[in-house]
Order: sequence, then C-alpha cells, then structure tokens
Amino acid sequence: MSRRVQLAVVGAGPAGLEAAITAAEAGVETVVIDGYTRPGGQYFKQPLFGLHTEISPEAKTVFARLTAANVELLTDTVVWGAFSASHSEGWVLTLHGTAGPSQLEAAVLILATGAYDRPLAFPGWTLPGVMTAGAAQTLLKSQAVLSGRRVLLSGTGPLQAAVAAGLVEAGAEVVAVLEAASLPWWQLARYAPAMWGQWERLREGWGYWRTLRRAGVPYRTGWSVVAARGREGVTEVSAARLNQHGASIADTDETFAVDTLVIGYGFLPAAQLSRLLGCEHDFRPEAGGWIPYRNELMETTQPGVYAVGDGAGIGGAALAQVEGRIAACDAARRLGQLAAEVAQTEIMAQQPALNREQHFARMFGALFTPAAGLYSLALDDTLICRCEEVSLGDIKAAVEAGAQTVNEVKGLTRAGMGNCQGRMCEALTARAIAAQTGAAIEMVGEMTARPPLFPLTVAELAEAAEL
Amino acid sequence: MAQQLTVIVDGRPVTVVEGQTVAAALLAHHQRVFRRTAAGQPRGLFCGIGLCFDCLLTVNGAPNVRACQTPVAEGMMIETAAAEVW
Repeated sequence: MSRRVQLAVVGAGPAGLEAAITAAEAGVETVVIDGYTRPGGQYFKQPLFGLHTEISPEAKTVFARLTAANVELLTDTVVWGAFSASHSEGWVLTLHGTAGPSQLEAAVLILATGAYDRPLAFPGWTLPGVMTAGAAQTLLKSQAVLSGRRVLLSGTGPLQAAVAAGLVEAGAEVVAVLEAASLPWWQLARYAPAMWGQWERLREGWGYWRTLRRAGVPYRTGWSVVAARGREGVTEVSAARLNQHGASIADTDETFAVDTLVIGYGFLPAAQLSRLLGCEHDFRPEAGGWIPYRNELMETTQPGVYAVGDGAGIGGAALAQVEGRIAACDAARRLGQLAAEVAQTEIMAQQPALNREQHFARMFGALFTPAAGLYSLALDDTLICRCEEVSLGDIKAAVEAGAQTVNEVKGLTRAGMGNCQGRMCEALTARAIAAQTGAAIEMVGEMTARPPLFPLTVAELAEAAEL
Repeated sequence: MAQQLTVIVDGRPVTVVEGQTVAAALLAHHQRVFRRTAAGQPRGLFCGIGLCFDCLLTVNGAPNVRACQTPVAEGMMIETAAAEVW
C-alpha cells in the first residue's frame, strides 16, 4: 500500500525524534520510521520489553513528549530504497517491516539516520570477542549482560571511558583503556573555551574518570591495539605506543591476556540514504567522513530533503536535537503549517545552542579523529571487507591492476558487496587505496549506494514488486 | 525480575532472560562463536546494532537472522556454527 503524508522522518534517535515532535506540534502530518523495535536510537536506547534496566531522565522526557505529540511511529521498519515521486513533487520511500513491504510517499523528508562505530582493521579484528564500543554499551545498558570478564578497551574519545566505567561497575575486570590520541595539556588548554558551559558533560566525564581511578584501571593516551590473537575467539591482544601520525612505534608492544577487546575509534555517519537520494556529499574527516552538503536550514542539495544529526556529520545528541528543531521548523514553513515569520523566529532562537554545540563538535573532531597512521595496522592477509572476506592483499592487487576508486576496487574484489553493504569496510577500503596510490583520501570516492540498503530475501523483494 | 525462558541452542536447553537478544543470551552463557564464514573463520557479535551482519545464525529454521536484533522467545530453536570446524 502506498500512501502520502506531509513529512517522513527517517530515524528515531535524538535528531529524528526532535524533528518529528517539533513538526507534529506545528501541525505537520508526520511519520517517523525506525529499524529498531523501540524508538530512541543509540543515545536514548531503551531496553527490550521485559527487561527492567534504567533509562535516563532526559530520555523519559523525550518519550513523554513523543507520546503527547501527534506523531505516527513505524518501528521495526527499515527504509531500503528512496526515489523521487513520479506523479508529484516529493519522495517515495520503500519500506520493509514486520507486516511486510510497503511504500510511503512524503512531500518532505528529514533524514536522521545516525552513526555507527568506526571500525579499524588490524590482525585478528574479526575474531569473536572483538566488538565495538557500541556493542559493549548496548549489551550493558539495554541487555544487562557483560561483554566479557577480562576486557581491554582501545579507541578514541570519551565513549570509551563511559563504557569502561560501566563495565567496571557491572563487575568486569578492565585491564586498560587505550586512548589513541596523545592529548597533550597544551592541546587540551587550547580547547578549554569550547568546554565552557558544558558542565553536564564535564560532570559526567569526571564520574567515569573517578570510577576508573578507584578500580585502578590504567588509562593510557597515545596507545592503541595493534593485533588480536586467538583460535575460536580473542585470548590475547598486543598494543603499542603511537607516534604523532598514529603509526605504531616499533618495540613498544605490550601483550594483554583478555577475553574481550572493545574497539571504538569514533563514529561514521550513516549517509547511505542521502547518497541514494542523490544529495551531494563532501568529505569532512573531522565530522566522520562523507556527509551531505547542507544549507543553514539543514536542507541538502535535493529540494525538500533535510539531513540532521550524526548521519549528517558527527556532532553528538545535543547538536542533533538543535538541528532537528531547525529542519522541522523550515519543513513546517515549506508545508504551509508555520508562517514564515514564526518559523524564522523559532529558527533564530536555536542559533545560540547551535553555535555552542557546533563549537563543541569541532573541538571533539579535532581531538578525537583517528590519525592516518591508525589505518596502517592491517597486514596483507588481514581482512578489510568482513562480509566478502577481502584482504588488504586483495585490495593491493586490485590497485596494481588499475583500480583507483572504492567503486573500482568493489567491482574487482567484491569489497563492500556483502550483507553490510560496505558500512564496515568502505572507509577502510578507501584508506587502503589511498595508501597504495598516494591519492588524497577524498579522491578515492565513496561507494555508490543502491537499493536495497539492507538485505532482503528474493521473496520479500518479489512481494514489494506487487505493490 | 524479568521472566526466565528456555531456548534450545544447538539441541541443548538453555535458560535465558525475557527481553534479551539472542546475542546477549549466548554471551551470557559464554558462547561467542555464532557462525562460520565461507572460509571457515569463526564470527560473533561485532557492531551490536544490527548493521554489520556478522552475528548471523539460524533461528527456528530461518537462516541469516541477526542475533543482536532478535529477542529470545520460549522454545526458540537457535542453531550456531560453533561446533562445526571445517
């Protein structure tokens, strides 16, 4: 069944929920679509039904506002395709949910697709027991299950400290937290102004720090995992000190016996949908990589398609919410639900928060974007594409055969053609090509997004074709 | 306290907690190998949020089900490839 609404919001995390609530409150007919069973995204993650783990007061407030607003919520539903509508101005989303396939036509789209952990390829990174910080955090927060008994965390940014503190409090032994950034005091001092006013974040960070100190967990800056070993799962991890370019320094290796390695090297924007819609993208390493171009109203280069939150550039939940409000106000104006002057006033009122959070996001990007050297940990037999089991050596061979872009390497090796559709390997493949050819990373390009964005069975596709 | 359920993992009954995902339930029982790749390599939970498709296993006879996105249910038949070594 295809039906038409005024606004479709893709993603029910902080950005999407804020956009949907704001638009619905302005009288816009709003549908929010999310792939998970419960709204909230990763930040406002809710436990599955039956488990009684805590959600934050902030999350409770958002869910109360969502319930009060006239928002239609489609959960357990993936958006696997997006097209411009053939008979009218607007867009068609092809959906697949628990009730089967459907289509939704919307005059305006707000993409709030979020982000996921940036993986890093090193020998042994595919072993069971090696997981992302997001996986460990989800297990702990919404499942009340420990990722392991003896854990090493390696990556960059404060999420690591949050996960480590959570693991310690839940009874795991955290052998060390390795922070890839060297974080010298003069660099931190330079960003002190961006921290001014971020009291809640500082208080939270202090809490994690205290928990780790009390448990005697070493927190090493300028260190990273370089290899994981084990037969049926990780049993041992090697770490090394990094130079200023992020490359490991010879003979500084240290070995840790662990049953779990948690890696969290920042986040990648989930920008597959904006690519599929033909929005133009820009390579911005400090914002996570390829992100859609946007004007000050969060509109992409496709008219009536807005992009907000981490999926449009890593900036955190507070920035995501501000962007969601701005996009929703302009969408409501465009749809005739909000007078231009009212929308203008509302958008102006968001500017101080927008500036403050953008400032913070820039600091965050400057401090915690993985240095280029961290992409040189893979050996020739290390897999880059986990799904199709394509190694660094395979990618080197493709480059030697003449491939210069991620799409060309994809064509020759199948890297990026598996179940995850390149979400895990695209950035790693791009770095591997750039290292071989010497080309600037943005010249290596992005993988073309094609429907289905998520795997569907042939039967499911056939069913969708009947619509 | 959340309710306890019984699922069948590779033919053995296992007690799990309602509201857990298959991935969490298996990890709670120290089982971390969920599948094997075409090359025979063991894989388990990786991204944990439904995007990497590495935690695939067979649930009630249906192949390629994401362990991290599937809640456990009473009597659920879960088949991993943990024991198969090629």
